[in-house]
Amino acid sequence: MKRVVNGRFLLRELLYSKKQAAIYILCVALSLVSLIAVNSFRRDIDRSISGDALALHGGDLILHSHYDLSEGLQRAVVELTEEKKATAVRTWAFYSVARKSDESGSLLCNIKVVENGYPLYGRVDLASGREFFQVLGAGKIVVGQGVLDRLGIAVGDQLQIGKSLFEIADVILYESAKPVRFFNIGPPVLVSYKDLAGMDLVKQGSRIAYETLLKMADATAVNTVAAQLRERGLVGQERVETFRDAGSGIKHFFDNLLFFLSLISICTLLLAGTGIESSLSAMLRLKEKNFAIIRSFGATGAYLLRHYLLFVLILSAVGIALGIVAGLLVKGYLSVLFSDFLPQDIVFRSSVADLSEGVMIGLMVVLFFTFLPLWRINNIKPVVIFRSESSRAKKTFSYYLCIVLGFSGLCVLLIRYLGEVSTGFYFLGGILLLLLIVTQVTRLTLYFLSKIKWRRPEARLAMRSLLRPGNVTQSIVVTLAIPLSLLLIIYLVENNLRGTYIDSFPADAPTLFCLDIQKNQQEAFRELVGDKVTLHPVIRARLISINGKAVNRGRELKKRRDNLAREFNLTYRDALLEDEILVAGDTLFRKDVKGEPVLQVSLLDTVAEMGDMKVGDILQFNIQGVKMEVEVSSIRSRTRSMLYPFFYFIFPGKYLREAPQTYFAALHVESEEIPFLENRIVQSFPNISTINIAEAAKEMGRMMQKLSKIVNFFAAFSILAGGLIIVSSIFAARFERIKEAVYYKILGADSRFVLRIFFLENLLLGLLSSVFAIVMAQVAAWSLCHFFLGIPYVPGWGASLGLVGLTIIFVVTIGLLGSIPAMKKKPGRFLRQLN
Amino acid sequence: METLLETRDLSKLYSIGEQKIKVLQSVSLTVQEGEFVVISGSSGSGKTTLLSLLSGLDRPSGGRIILDGQDITDLTEDQLAPVRNQLTGFVFQAFHLIPSLNSLENIMFPAELLGDRLAKEKAERLLESVGLSLRWNSFPEQLSGGEKQRVAICRALVNEPKIIFADEPTGNLDSVNSDGIIELLRRIHQDKNATIVMATHNKAIAENADRIFHLHDGRLSVER
Amino acid sequence: MLICTGCSQEEEKELMVESNNEGEIIIVAVGDSLTAGYGVAEEESYPDLLGKKLKSDGYNCRVVNSGVSAETSSGLLSRVGWVLGLNPDIVILETGANDGLRGIDPEMVEKNIRDILFRLKEAEVITVLAGMKMTLNLGPSYVKKFNSIYPKFENEFDIIFMPFFLKDVAMKNELTLGDGLHPNGDGYKIIADNIYPYVLKAVNKKQNL
Repeated sequence: MKRVVNGRFLLRELLYSKKQAAIYILCVALSLVSLIAVNSFRRDIDRSISGDALALHGGDLILHSHYDLSEGLQRAVVELTEEKKATAVRTWAFYSVARKSDESGSLLCNIKVVENGYPLYGRVDLASGREFFQVLGAGKIVVGQGVLDRLGIAVGDQLQIGKSLFEIADVILYESAKPVRFFNIGPPVLVSYKDLAGMDLVKQGSRIAYETLLKMADATAVNTVAAQLRERGLVGQERVETFRDAGSGIKHFFDNLLFFLSLISICTLLLAGTGIESSLSAMLRLKEKNFAIIRSFGATGAYLLRHYLLFVLILSAVGIALGIVAGLLVKGYLSVLFSDFLPQDIVFRSSVADLSEGVMIGLMVVLFFTFLPLWRINNIKPVVIFRSESSRAKKTFSYYLCIVLGFSGLCVLLIRYLGEVSTGFYFLGGILLLLLIVTQVTRLTLYFLSKIKWRRPEARLAMRSLLRPGNVTQSIVVTLAIPLSLLLIIYLVENNLRGTYIDSFPADAPTLFCLDIQKNQQEAFRELVGDKVTLHPVIRARLISINGKAVNRGRELKKRRDNLAREFNLTYRDALLEDEILVAGDTLFRKDVKGEPVLQVSLLDTVAEMGDMKVGDILQFNIQGVKMEVEVSSIRSRTRSMLYPFFYFIFPGKYLREAPQTYFAALHVESEEIPFLENRIVQSFPNISTINIAEAAKEMGRMMQKLSKIVNFFAAFSILAGGLIIVSSIFAARFERIKEAVYYKILGADSRFVLRIFFLENLLLGLLSSVFAIVMAQVAAWSLCHFFLGIPYVPGWGASLGLVGLTIIFVVTIGLLGSIPAMKKKPGRFLRQLN
Repeated sequence: METLLETRDLSKLYSIGEQKIKVLQSVSLTVQEGEFVVISGSSGSGKTTLLSLLSGLDRPSGGRIILDGQDITDLTEDQLAPVRNQLTGFVFQAFHLIPSLNSLENIMFPAELLGDRLAKEKAERLLESVGLSLRWNSFPEQLSGGEKQRVAICRALVNEPKIIFADEPTGNLDSVNSDGIIELLRRIHQDKNATIVMATHNKAIAENADRIFHLHDGRLSVER
Repeated sequence: MLICTGCSQEEEKELMVESNNEGEIIIVAVGDSLTAGYGVAEEESYPDLLGKKLKSDGYNCRVVNSGVSAETSSGLLSRVGWVLGLNPDIVILETGANDGLRGIDPEMVEKNIRDILFRLKEAEVITVLAGMKMTLNLGPSYVKKFNSIYPKFENEFDIIFMPFFLKDVAMKNELTLGDGLHPNGDGYKIIADNIYPYVLKAVNKKQNL
């Protein structure tokens, strides 16, 4: 009776490989901790972000129309509420001129009439501290501070809106639901639905935004219900949106943030995988000769595979168990540890689901990434005993089958993380392509290095040892470069996300926009608000054609974001703003022989991208009936965003100075002073419209701060975990390279000579790996920012260089440390042990 | 006496890059049961290659190998496993013990692969016969070269193979230990009537052989 | 096609006179997004429809669209010079809607339009004034003041007055874009039909000069 498993042999092997086994276990445990932690953080953060989005939009589903809801949609809403599937609240929003009761003043206000139950999500904070629903009632309204300040009235006074006279019951301090468009003229007023009829403003001939907000009992049903409602609504008139897809400027940001979290999950997964693969490979490489010996006295390939699979599984199980314990600890203590760094409403919850998912994924990763190293065992021939060359694995059908299966598993995981099939495939394609390129480039580089004649013996020996046949330099470089580049990708993408969204909300950002300042009002306006303000001339025009090809208006108007068919605001000036840089062209404008700029236009990169325009293209504009043909002289980019005024098209001053224009000003004013300044402006210049964006800016700033914390934390955590994984895999890979030291010593080399060889060898290894890592990371991060996130990309060369330095220091240190024991031992004794 | 091992026109090519090197050229030999055959030749003459082909550890580029009436030339790795396990034993120049196992366990291993219930007893008896009973629990790195080779020989014998291959078994040993190992192999040959094919370039050892082949530049000639 | 290469006013005028065919009447439609054709293709905007209609009825006229989205009456006032630079024989003036939607004081709107009409009169341009009515949500008192602005000019200036630009179209779901405010293609057809007699009157007036 043959025994299937030789238990004692297994145990002996486990005990014998303590050091490598420990490193491998550490890798598995670390990988698992990162996977569990990252995944469950992601869930927690997703929950928190959804909460913000819900509060912002005020409901799971938002039905929007400029008319009363159609019968079909009304019935659908009634059905949902009657079946207790949803709670519904209606609102009516419109502008109206509110008047003081003594007719001594009036003000355009942003009125919102709300039903009981408003807001479904989020909150309305009042100055008195009372509950919103207790204050708002028939004849009683709450208003923004701006209403009081601009009309010079107080709480308790009366206000005429439509045909009703209201008592101002309280002041709105904070309202989480707000229209996410910035441009709201007039301060907010909230009115109870009980006064809807009395005001007599919501009727035929009025311009009203009708909204029905729905809160679903079952949050998972949101998308299906949305689809059903969309079918029943009137196309073109009624819009059904979910809180996630509602068209807001913030949506893009939310989407990008969630995508970033997925990206981190994937990077962590791959990091964990390569860590496991490389430490296992290193461990098995040391045993390669053993496999050959065992085969030489009659073990089958299956026997070896069986034992070493068990060997790996036992170690993995220990690693996973350790990982679970550590994962629980991490989850439990992180909230406490990082409470200062994380937004308050993020609570980390440990759940069985997180754990079991982590373990499942961990096992899949272990199986997938251990398969390739283990497969080699199956094909090791005894002849390896005589020649120390690595045997090439024979690739049978079952080998490919396993690869395909494992790969599909990985695909499923990726798609699950990304939530979209096509994105998942783009990702995989990109990763594979990068892998292929790096492998080939490594091979080429090593080939060319081998052709160089080195004069110094140390260099020659170091090269020899890197390039000897059967050496694993190539696979070490690749397996080191991949995790390094993953780390760098996380860092670079995070940096760019932050740069685009978060750093663009500085404390001195504008809080008040003034539109329609007339040419002859410039001086007086400057005097009124202070000299420092920049007045941007605004000239309205349409783009007719690019290089003679007409702009296709039908197609452009269908674009969801910006389009080329709309009217643009041109401006003119002769210098860059302080937040602008040139990305194409030598100067903003070219000058003719007299030093005067010729007729030309400078584009902002975003609009250049929209129309695929480049320097030298000829654009034709229609400036209110006058056509003008200009050449593109330069392309600009902006370093700040969102709240600062920007212009797609800039002309040299002399050509547009006579064109019809108004002026635009962006001011930074303390928010409590804004209403008074608005009053002063409107009294002096009734034609000027002012837009108070202080609240919106503050809210955006608050949210960005919060998300910046999350992004920082998340990125830092995964970079830390990834760093540890890399450290342990370097340990694993470089530990075996100690034998040579002994040989050199036997040949009479002193320690300095040996150290120099090791230094050079590891220097080259670290340099190659980190340079490849940087190339991969820059390409990948740029593609991610460009194609997936749609944000401008700034390459972080500083960080990249830092990575090179760190990697080299690290690889060299570990390589040298590894050689010390070998150098200390007497060569004779060591040699005897080797045989 | 029966023919135990027979080769016809055996050849082996190694390719190093573009270049092909003929290590063995049309080697034909027969070994009878119970013979002690020595293959002599200078270092690099192809002795190790020939032995690894004869024992089924490597595959020839041309020619055929018939071992115990069975043509093993085209067997797959897994079909070769029982041949290596039961039919042949191999003693390496560099011992090649498994570092994680102690002496006794190293010897037992092939028997355990076979599923032999008496593996332990057999291994103990063999250890005793080479005078290493007391060192049964020592691990390879704690043994001297001579001791390692004695353990390796026991490992080659444990499944009572029909033929034992020994590749320069004394190549890594000093003269005192060398003599001991040669003595041990001769004793095995005489006591158990074992067939032994040994590669060596040591003329003195070759003295004991029934027949001697000489290998020069990959070609085999009969010396005695 | 007019191409403005240098940009002083004289040069433009020269260019335009050159490209003018003999006796062609230039009609400039001046206004805000309602004239510009916000959200519809250029061929669907009312100035384009009007131009085709005139041509098919045998009038030698060219209609230039000089609409600027989101423009208030103040903005229009400041670009009258530019409009006159187009050398119009007839101007169709439609403005004020954005003033109303922003709650700007009707007195201001009235003053602006008066100034614009004055400048057009000085330039001896025949003017068609399209009246505007404010949406009711702004409140009865504001709406009343706003709606009373336009009729005043009918007697004050020698103009052709169309009482309400969006007649039959305003707030009609099937004739406006989803926002209930801006006309769609069908809406503009009605507007073009409605405004046609007033424009004909202006054209005849021009021909009889």
